[in-house]
Amino acid sequence: MQDAFYLLAAVLLPYAGALITALLPANARTVAWLAGGTALLTLLMVVLGYSDIAAGRIPRVALPWAPELGLSFTLRMDGFAATFAVMASGIGFLVVLYSRYYMSPDDPIPRFFSFLLAFMGSMMGLVLSANLIQLVFFWELTSLFSFLLIGYWQNLAAARDGARMALTVTAGGGLALFAGVLVLGHIVGSYELDAVLAAGNLVRAHPLYLPALVLILLGAMTKSAQFPFHFWLPHAMAAPTPVSAYLHSATLVKAGIFLLARLWPVLAGTDAWFWILCPVGLITLLVGAYVAIFQHDMKALLAYSTISHLGLITLLLSLNSDLAMVAAVFHIINHATFKASLFMAAGIIDHETGTRDIRRLSGLNQSMPFTARLALVAAGAMAGVPLLNGFISKEMFFTEALTAATTPTLLHSILPIAATLASILAVTYSLRFIHGAFFGPETDDLPKKPHEPPQFMRVPVEILVFACMVVGILPSATVGPLLDLAARSILGDATPEYSLAVWHGFNLPLVMSLIALAGGVALYRLLYRHLNAGIDGTPLLERLDGRRAFDQVMVFISWRFARALERLMATDRLQMQLRLLVCIAFLAATLALLPHGLAPGGVQLTPVDPVVALMWVVGGACAIAAAYQAKYHRLAALVMLGGAGLVTCLTFVWFSAPDLALTQLLVEIVTTVLMLLGLRWMPKRIESAGSGHILARLRRLRDLAIAAAAGLGLTAISYATMTRVSPDGISRQFLERAYTEGGGTNVVNVILVDFRGFDTMGEITVLGIVALTVFALLRRFRPAAESVGMPEQQQGEARDWLLIPAVTMRLIFPVIIAVSLYLLLRGHDQPGGGFIAGLMLAIGILLQYMAGGTRWVEDHLRVLPLRWMGFGLLLAAGTGAAAIAFGKPFLTSYFAYADLGPLGKLPLASAVIFDLGVFALVFGATVLMLIALAHQSVRRPRAAPPPPVAALPEPAAAAAGEN
Amino acid sequence: MTWTLALPELVLAIAGLVILVAGVLPKQETFFPVSMACIGSLLLAAVLVLGQPEGTALGGHYVADDFSGFMKLLAIGGAAIGILLSLDYNTKEGLGRFEFPLLMLLATIGMMVMISANDLLSLYLGLELLSLPLYVIAAFNRDSARSAEAGLKYFVLGALASGLLLYGSSLVYGFAGTTNFDRLADAFSADSGVTAGVVVGIVFVIAGLAFKVSAVPFHMWTPDVYEGAPTPVTAFFAAAPKVAAIALLARVLVGPFGDLAGQWQQVITLVSLGSMTLGGFAAIGQRNIKRLMAYSSIGHVGYALMGLAVANDVGLRGLLVYMAIYVAMNLGTFAVLIAMRRKGRAVEQVEDLAGLGRTDLGTAVWMAVFMFSMAGIPPLAGFFGKLYVFLAAVQAGFWTLAVVGVLTSVVSAYYYLRIVKVMFFDAPAGALDPAPASLTVVMAASGLFTLFFVLWPAPLLAAAQAAAAALLG
Repeated sequence: MQDAFYLLAAVLLPYAGALITALLPANARTVAWLAGGTALLTLLMVVLGYSDIAAGRIPRVALPWAPELGLSFTLRMDGFAATFAVMASGIGFLVVLYSRYYMSPDDPIPRFFSFLLAFMGSMMGLVLSANLIQLVFFWELTSLFSFLLIGYWQNLAAARDGARMALTVTAGGGLALFAGVLVLGHIVGSYELDAVLAAGNLVRAHPLYLPALVLILLGAMTKSAQFPFHFWLPHAMAAPTPVSAYLHSATLVKAGIFLLARLWPVLAGTDAWFWILCPVGLITLLVGAYVAIFQHDMKALLAYSTISHLGLITLLLSLNSDLAMVAAVFHIINHATFKASLFMAAGIIDHETGTRDIRRLSGLNQSMPFTARLALVAAGAMAGVPLLNGFISKEMFFTEALTAATTPTLLHSILPIAATLASILAVTYSLRFIHGAFFGPETDDLPKKPHEPPQFMRVPVEILVFACMVVGILPSATVGPLLDLAARSILGDATPEYSLAVWHGFNLPLVMSLIALAGGVALYRLLYRHLNAGIDGTPLLERLDGRRAFDQVMVFISWRFARALERLMATDRLQMQLRLLVCIAFLAATLALLPHGLAPGGVQLTPVDPVVALMWVVGGACAIAAAYQAKYHRLAALVMLGGAGLVTCLTFVWFSAPDLALTQLLVEIVTTVLMLLGLRWMPKRIESAGSGHILARLRRLRDLAIAAAAGLGLTAISYATMTRVSPDGISRQFLERAYTEGGGTNVVNVILVDFRGFDTMGEITVLGIVALTVFALLRRFRPAAESVGMPEQQQGEARDWLLIPAVTMRLIFPVIIAVSLYLLLRGHDQPGGGFIAGLMLAIGILLQYMAGGTRWVEDHLRVLPLRWMGFGLLLAAGTGAAAIAFGKPFLTSYFAYADLGPLGKLPLASAVIFDLGVFALVFGATVLMLIALAHQSVRRPRAAPPPPVAALPEPAAAAAGEN
Repeated sequence: MTWTLALPELVLAIAGLVILVAGVLPKQETFFPVSMACIGSLLLAAVLVLGQPEGTALGGHYVADDFSGFMKLLAIGGAAIGILLSLDYNTKEGLGRFEFPLLMLLATIGMMVMISANDLLSLYLGLELLSLPLYVIAAFNRDSARSAEAGLKYFVLGALASGLLLYGSSLVYGFAGTTNFDRLADAFSADSGVTAGVVVGIVFVIAGLAFKVSAVPFHMWTPDVYEGAPTPVTAFFAAAPKVAAIALLARVLVGPFGDLAGQWQQVITLVSLGSMTLGGFAAIGQRNIKRLMAYSSIGHVGYALMGLAVANDVGLRGLLVYMAIYVAMNLGTFAVLIAMRRKGRAVEQVEDLAGLGRTDLGTAVWMAVFMFSMAGIPPLAGFFGKLYVFLAAVQAGFWTLAVVGVLTSVVSAYYYLRIVKVMFFDAPAGALDPAPASLTVVMAASGLFTLFFVLWPAPLLAAAQAAAAALLG
């Protein structure tokens, strides 16, 4: 119970503190004390929990979080996690204390401390997580808060770029880690850390081991700034120095290492582990150390040295040796202490002198002697000077390098040499740090007059440096138990014997250390002149600029690749999109058909009549010609379309469907004429310059091929479908019941007005709406100026060219009306009906408009299409409703035959009244569209672009609409 | 008759007709009262959906279950908030006509019919009822050439896609002899094997639906339409219809075609991969933020479809959770985009957001929340959406999907974070006009959901679980 409280408090306290600090006003000075108190309390929680671990238990706590997923919020703290928790909270406390004096009163302090505490909470969550998904969650949170902290001085371009780079690299790596963790969890079958750690052999033997390993290593390497992802760390130095001391020495960058060590029992021990990590660690170790020497900015020097040390730890972890593991953990602790203190020292120098440039600094030993001594000791630890903590872990590293060298591969055998070389470089940059800043003549060419910092700003450095010395002198008495617990929690019973002593006798590692110290001093003397010349850049490695590579990759991905992909995958031209859509549908259908094939069904085929076949050839030719002419000659295309329609119509006749044929014929006439009338107002086709070009021809050929392929495909599928026995439909029912129940012998008409009268009702409503829409749309239409005048054909001598047709059309108008009525009345038993009759009558009116012109017709004949439509709809609905009055369902029909003597029998079903409604509506709708088109010719052309609607006052808009 | 089961749709349809008449009659413009009435009817429909019993009705054409309830609530919520988002914008842009909310209402009925469709015919009916109003509102700003172009393109391509779907349905009917989902499922589970015609039919049906969810390779219309349509319309497009189309896709594939999973899983996997990749990369180069959101939505559909590709209960649950979270953060984002006005004029470039952190901190913070969430950064809701589909993909062994999904998340994080950077780090481009209250409310509501989903994920998860179970039967 208590354990649970300690653990939860350790994670939640910093967040609570962050929330409270964030709410404080920007000028609150008490913030630092609040933040410091929170950090100290967190440390206390860890220490309280630690007593349990020391007693051999592992405190843990689980809260249900997303139980459906089997996820709960679980924390556990073993020795290793405790080590990191102590570092995160302890150094966190020191950094808060330090920041209290470092941050300028002009900065928004609460935000700073709020981010810092939130980061601390995330770090605690990361190290204490007992669940891998949860670990990734906190991992990404650390990236996020590190982004916010690096970009704290958001008005500095360097801070913005550095923050963005850090976030891109680490959050990106974090997502790779997420993928890796998913794979790992899949292998193990659980995301609980305990289960995963226990399943090492299973994981290593699994075929998915390598993908999981690579993804997880990507996450760890980006976070811990390993080559080739190291470049973000130096740029992150744009952060305030306390942030660098905290994130970039002790915590954030160690998260990757933490993960490697945490999963060491599961992932390590294979060749893949060694061959990926060892070269990476080695290169990072050497390159980091080498580049560090040539940095002039103290923080940049420390950043590269951090990279180098992280490489060292990675190298140790890669060796698959238990002792190396212990050494790695030890070095993690040591590096955190001395590097944090060095960053703080650099910050003090920056704070008190106004610069961090080693070329400008000199002789600070005189003005700030105490700080100088602290820095000297810490740098000594970094260089591996005996009696300081860095020395002991470095000795262990040498020992391990020598042990590893017994394995007969090239990489193994060069390890001792590489280790010595890296140490030489480390001594050199440590010397440069100290000698450059504190020794030499005193200079007064500094932005500020240097002096010692406030007492308490130095306290954190003092504490850390003291730790370096105590650990360096009495290792086993001080850090021994902690290290032992940490190593044991990773290695378990396999923990090897190791000795934490300063003096192991005069052995090879000691010789290597001595060589390193001597070599480092010699190298520094050798490079002294070059370094003081103040040349920017690193000799031999000028071209190794991670930032430039990063920028180039970013530009490539974000610009060139994105553009190329967009060009390839997206277009804003409708034709291309249509073409793509058709092609994709065709491809998809082909691919789907490939494994199955497409065989025709077994239905007996009717024999082909040669005449009909010829007719179809003509129809097909018309259709193709229409498509061809659509671009060049609209009129011709329309006429051809009419030809194709006619063939369809004849086909219906051939299939004994006179109703369909009649309807098709009339629809064909009406639509063709209406379209012709519409064409009148289309702008002329403008010959584009490139229309005869070879490329244009090729394009059209390609389109032809696509159209042909898609058409043939459709034909094939239709053929296959239609040669199969179709599912049993309801058509037979209609045939059987048409006379007995509908009272008509024309089944089509009975279906329309009776069986499916409700559908027809809906359809005529839709037709009415369509007509109204056409009317409404055309009401606003103004023809283009060039098509307003009299058409070419009607100008000059051909003025009266329609005289004879006009007379004829007027003469046959009564005949058309009579035929239309005839079709209407006989519809119930023979081909005909309201729909056909309505169209017929509309054609009569259409002819009058064409022959006489709009003004003439409307002077002589007033058709009120809206009334026709309204009447039709009401009549149809009323007939249906009447049935309800008789207690029957809506649209039930009643039928009888009236005997008209010599004229024959007239079917008098109530459906006929319904049909009359259909007739009226179809007629009205068609004429309405006609009138809408016809009225264009009596309009004025578009005068000027209309003003925006919003600006138009209400009456004016209405008036504009009426015209 | 069991038509009472379809009460939500019926009530909504009647309400729509009544409001239509009520909107036409008065002399003055009735945009605001009609909008309010539409929102009210939608809320009423939502309540009715909540109280809807399970079962099938209307001759097996209509089904109501936990799945339809979940998706309908999402769609209705998206539509209601969509109308809310349009209030201020439309008035200022001179688009404040009463037809606008009504068209959204009618489209919503279409969505509900789609979600409850249990027959290829009702599927098509719902789809068209949804699409036709959408064509109109895409071109609602008639005096803008871009809006008209958007509407026309959407219509032409949408008609083609509908044609594909209808053709596919007729093939399925021709070869299977029925259009009812339950009987189709029976027909396909028989051992007689699958004929080629059915497979082609499924492919065409998937193609038609993929167009509606704007998944690759049927995505081409999305950027143009999103950019050209008035911003509230884009917001609506990106939320509610997408939910309905995804629901329909899931219902069709898992229901009647469930036994043919082997045939369509590959198709959905490919579609998902393509959508994630394109959505990730193509958005990077965009300067117009609506265009960027179009590509972003393509990417999100890719992630959601990952759950469908897995085709088991875990995957479907992931899909449902993803859609819910997606709708929430998308509406929030669009609330910010709609609020982007400078000196009374709507602006829509990414640069126009520059320095928003200094000029309007509240809006900038919400926008940052949405962007981080869309990028899938914990602890925001977007992370969980991704988590659930990734987990499902991994558990079912869809490695390629999971890994590509994670990698494209990295890529898309780049452009989401760029917006955050522009808002907080770039020099201000001049203050934006203060956001009206209706938008602030939407921002805050979806922002709070996005922020605090982490604390109470259980209710949504449980609902999604039940819905997925209902779909799998």
